[in-house]
Amino acid sequence: MAALSLTLHFVRREIGNRYLGSFSGGLWALFQPLIQLAVYSFVFVYVFRQGAPAGSNVGYVPFLFMGLWPWTMFSESLSRATTVIQDNAALIGKVALPRDVLVFSVVAGSFLVQLVGFVLICVVLRLWGVAVDLAALPISLLAFAQLFVFTLGFAYLFAGIQVFVRDLAPALPQLLMLWMFASPILYARESLPASVQGYLDLNPFAPYPQIFRTLLVHTAPIGVTALAISTVVALAVFAAGYGAFRRVQSHFEDFL
Amino acid sequence: MSDDLLVETHALGKSYPLVFHARDRLRALIRLLFGRRDVNAIPVLRDVSLRVHRGESLGLIGENGAGKSTLLKLLTGVLTPTTGTVRVNGRVGALLELGAGFHPDYSGRDNIALSAALYGLSASETRAKLDEIIAFADIGRYIDEPIKHYSSGMVVRLGFAIIAALKPDLLITDEVLAVGDEAFQKKCVRWIEEYLTNGGTLILVSHSMYHIQKLCRQACWLRDGHVAASGDVYDVTQAYLAYQEAKSQTSDGRGDDAQRSALEFHLLDLVINGHAGDSQLVLDRGASLRAAAHVNSRDGRVPVIVFGIARADGSAIYGVSTEMESVRPRRIDANTYVAEITFPSLSVLPGSYVVKAHPLDPEAVRLFDTIERSVVVRGESREFGLVRLEHEWTDVDRHDVEHAPQMISALAR
Repeated sequence: MAALSLTLHFVRREIGNRYLGSFSGGLWALFQPLIQLAVYSFVFVYVFRQGAPAGSNVGYVPFLFMGLWPWTMFSESLSRATTVIQDNAALIGKVALPRDVLVFSVVAGSFLVQLVGFVLICVVLRLWGVAVDLAALPISLLAFAQLFVFTLGFAYLFAGIQVFVRDLAPALPQLLMLWMFASPILYARESLPASVQGYLDLNPFAPYPQIFRTLLVHTAPIGVTALAISTVVALAVFAAGYGAFRRVQSHFEDFL
Repeated sequence: MSDDLLVETHALGKSYPLVFHARDRLRALIRLLFGRRDVNAIPVLRDVSLRVHRGESLGLIGENGAGKSTLLKLLTGVLTPTTGTVRVNGRVGALLELGAGFHPDYSGRDNIALSAALYGLSASETRAKLDEIIAFADIGRYIDEPIKHYSSGMVVRLGFAIIAALKPDLLITDEVLAVGDEAFQKKCVRWIEEYLTNGGTLILVSHSMYHIQKLCRQACWLRDGHVAASGDVYDVTQAYLAYQEAKSQTSDGRGDDAQRSALEFHLLDLVINGHAGDSQLVLDRGASLRAAAHVNSRDGRVPVIVFGIARADGSAIYGVSTEMESVRPRRIDANTYVAEITFPSLSVLPGSYVVKAHPLDPEAVRLFDTIERSVVVRGESREFGLVRLEHEWTDVDRHDVEHAPQMISALAR
């Protein structure tokens, strides 16, 4: 019970922090996805005249956003979580604070804020006449839950490593950029040459754009086996990341 | 672990890893990940076994770097022990260091919520206590300002207000309360006294033996990371002070002595109740105090000798010289004089005091030398102030007449 109320407090604090001191407060959470939607539409549809990718029956922008939004959640959570222990060193050194709560609240805060943006984008796209299946939104929450578990695993691992090896945080933006281009976010898996497609299976994030596209814009569906494997991978990543974090967390104070 | 035992540590030890290079950090990470603990380390605390029961008050003393803060961090769960175990029952309230546990960018109100959440209070419980905390802290509109704009006094006020509202089973604090102004300090001391009478448990860290002896019954002396002595507060503080005294003498005593012997008058010793030396003296309340000072007079002239009693914090209580009362120190040989004074049934209240002696020139104008001896008067008293003044109640009803004589005799003891 105490742990739950502490976690809730930190999640609230994390969300409040994002908009602390800004004029519009929480309105930014709504504006930011809309602006992003407008910019991407302009660049890809009017400038590059990018058509719908292979195997997709919707335009490029809806296709892109179904992959981009999960990626934003994942990468934003990771960059915030990696330094969260270091950022709260003053608190950790003075009060007995469960360390895992800090990592959890950063990831949860990120997901909650971006989830609101995602729903908003789906609704706006639908109003715009794109065939987004709004009825599939509740089911897509399950996919978000899986992505959350997956993200949490990496977040715990990176947060733990960063305390000991400070090189991770500066290297992370480059790592994330490479990872993003190595994932089928801007392109469809099918757009790749057949000889390269197999390598995508080595990328644990690769299934997520496909899962959301399958659910919400009905592109070529992801296979059941691939889905099951992605679930097992998410759980394994979580177990490994959290396990490693638990091992090293009691020594954070000595290295901060 | 019984309900009464709040804190129990067994062979507790803590080592900090030696990390000079970045590669040491990487090596440490890999070792920890694979479950090995033999990281190169410097021990800062060794083999500390402590037990604190409900209602006890423990004073923690020791020099800087002796491991006091590390021990407290282990007790509050901020640090994880390297060896041994620590078990703490019940809710712990820690008031240590200025602003520890507060986030400087958040308002007082938000920080209250944070602290309350850390103590395991739910949001609704916190709301219920919020007004009480704000009223106790009494910092006006600053409660909605970020903590970084607070004065140090305000930070302490807020910290103490939170502790007071949470009513912890165990309170751990140090001299941080001294930062508050006098009115607030009184409020805190009143609260702590009430807390202790209601069965609260206290662990106090202090460099002031006066505070330790005033608030604690037990003491624990940490030296270089291990327990040098623990037990009754008077025994432990006495041992600690004696150690300190001996240490300062071996380091700079010699030069000092040479300098002093060059003075026209210098003190040879100050003997209290027959005890020479530098150890602290413990007297029972109402015991008599006999102080004798031997003075070396370089030119053989008769000195004036002053005796004084001051509180441990330096405030003077009483002082008198041989010249004031028309007596002269007795001559022992050509260059040595002695004066002895007796205070029959010393009327100071329990606490820590200093007895001082100074030689003056025969004209009672120049003061040459000082020797101080600390004296503890033990006992319990609910009276206020420094000394007991002679008094009688002249227009009152007397109830409980049968018990009155016993009480008086108890006081006299």
